[in-house]
Amino acid sequence: MMAPPRRSTLAHGLARHLGLALVSALLAVSVIGYGGLYLATQGRLPGGFEFTSSLNNTMPLALAGLAQTMVVLTRGLDLSIGGIIDLSDALAALYLGTTAASMALASALILLAGAVLGFVNGALVAYGRLPPILVTLATLAIFQGLAIRILPQPGGAVPEGYTALLVNTGAPYALFYVLAMMLFWAVLRRSRIGIALLAVGDDEAAASSNGIDPVVTKLVAYTLSGLIAAAAGLFLAAQATAGDATTGNGYTLTSIVAVVLGGVSLFGGRGSGIGAILGAFVTTMIVNILFFAHIDPLYQSFYEGAFLVIAVVLAEGLGRLVRKRRARA
Amino acid sequence: MSGGGTRRRVLAGLSPTGRRVLYAYGATVLLFLLGGLVRPGFIQATNVLTILTVAMFVGLVAAGQSFVILIGGIDLSVPWVLNAAAILLATSSGGENAHAAAALALTLGMGALVGVANGIGVTVLGVPAVVMTLAMNGIMEGLTLGLSGGMTCGACASYAPPLVQGLAHGSLLGVPAPLWLWLAVIGLISFLLQATVFGRATYAIGTNLRASELAGLRVRATVIGLYGLSGLTAALAGIMLVGFGGQASLGMGEPYLFQSIAAVVIGGASILGGRGHYLGAVAGAICLVTLISVLLAMNMAEYGRSIIYGVIILVLLLLYGREARDG
Repeated sequence: MMAPPRRSTLAHGLARHLGLALVSALLAVSVIGYGGLYLATQGRLPGGFEFTSSLNNTMPLALAGLAQTMVVLTRGLDLSIGGIIDLSDALAALYLGTTAASMALASALILLAGAVLGFVNGALVAYGRLPPILVTLATLAIFQGLAIRILPQPGGAVPEGYTALLVNTGAPYALFYVLAMMLFWAVLRRSRIGIALLAVGDDEAAASSNGIDPVVTKLVAYTLSGLIAAAAGLFLAAQATAGDATTGNGYTLTSIVAVVLGGVSLFGGRGSGIGAILGAFVTTMIVNILFFAHIDPLYQSFYEGAFLVIAVVLAEGLGRLVRKRRARA
Repeated sequence: MSGGGTRRRVLAGLSPTGRRVLYAYGATVLLFLLGGLVRPGFIQATNVLTILTVAMFVGLVAAGQSFVILIGGIDLSVPWVLNAAAILLATSSGGENAHAAAALALTLGMGALVGVANGIGVTVLGVPAVVMTLAMNGIMEGLTLGLSGGMTCGACASYAPPLVQGLAHGSLLGVPAPLWLWLAVIGLISFLLQATVFGRATYAIGTNLRASELAGLRVRATVIGLYGLSGLTAALAGIMLVGFGGQASLGMGEPYLFQSIAAVVIGGASILGGRGHYLGAVAGAICLVTLISVLLAMNMAEYGRSIIYGVIILVLLLLYGREARDG
């Protein structure tokens, strides 16, 4: 009964699901809070329209959070996500064209561009053995510069059909995308590469001696991050029906907020993409609550920042408590 | 004292950090020559002094950034600490000399307090430095925007007190006053890092946190103090900046995050902690600001500068990283 291994699989699994349980509870509480406030201020409960628009508004952040998860799982951090979203947003506004074929081709190329940019991050981190924060801070400056070069002023246009496909305001089709993202995570999590992501983030040396290549794993993580961030940019452009090379900037911070709220450990090796997606919805709900509580939107980043710190402290504290309990039992 | 052999021996005798500081000063001289080619008058004394004065703003922020990077941390909260300080100084003094002293104390105290809060978050609450300071940047942004009503408040249009403006624009013995201030800061920080228990503890913590704890160093207090100093220097930079420009504006702190980190990296400090010196960051700040001035003289657009910053940081990281593995 003495000194059980701290990272036993049972405790490990529980701690992971604890994060999911916490964010689900948080989402439930914030939805109820939002509904209550809505009822108090509008005299009725939020309906289908509110549901659809909340889903649509959260899509870019849910994708950005999923992108950030890929890298955070390997004990990294991707500050360049905002820059990739900017670039993808700007490219979408300029090159989508008007025919279905051109839209499909341009979208595919933009996603490919995001993956390439992510790959560059990954190569610098994995081959160059450089600190992820500095690498992605530098590439953030480069990507933002490129985005402004491509689209100096907000403008361009996203065709109506494209917006209708990604951001349908009539019905909650976005639910389909959310489910697709969750399915993507569920499949990834069970694949070799998903296991490698968690293993490398948990203990790089141990993963390496178990035949997992940390360099390849990190390359894949950053490439996936870039790809998914580019998808977030497509959704953002579709939502605004035009391009803006700076609207993506904020997603660097909020993607970290979503990841942390979703119970993904910033020390790597623990967490779930589904958690990060739910974390994105919690963030949206908080913004909605602040709005209906008539809190000045100027204070929004104050609440986001404060909430981020509180969430990290609570999540790490609770996680440690549960792991200790499990280890003792 | 003949030629290359001696030089090589001198270079080899220096630590990697010392060599990088030398490279940074060498690059600065080259950049000035390049600037002189692009625009005659670039290397005139007045222009050189102006560039050095602008470099001081980066250098002050980079001082705090050096402190936290020495212990393997980072301070992403500098943009809005700086911005909040600039606005707080202008609004609390109302542009009057009579209130200048109180406003200065209030502003510097605010900066230090925010930094201390960062330090407590990192040490006591165990929040990763990136997240803690990123969140603090958001907190300060929200507070600054909210309390000033998006810079629409009555006092927001206030100018910095003439005293502070005088400090930013005055000169002594032909050298701008901000440069005297910077020299004083350089002396103070060098003394603090090289000759005090606090300074030696800083290097020890940056080299090996666990060993420092076991050796009985007051790790938490030191780390909190270092983040406090970072907040303080960011606030000081905000004060000098509002004194220089007269009025505060929203977003004035944004460029300083990237530039302060870049200055520290150019100056050869190891981002993993334990190695580096403020003189390196000073060299980095001067080098970076000279580069920006040259790019501006070449009419380079903002996006181009942003891309070039990023590329330079990556190239330096790759070069220095290689050197560290070879050596």
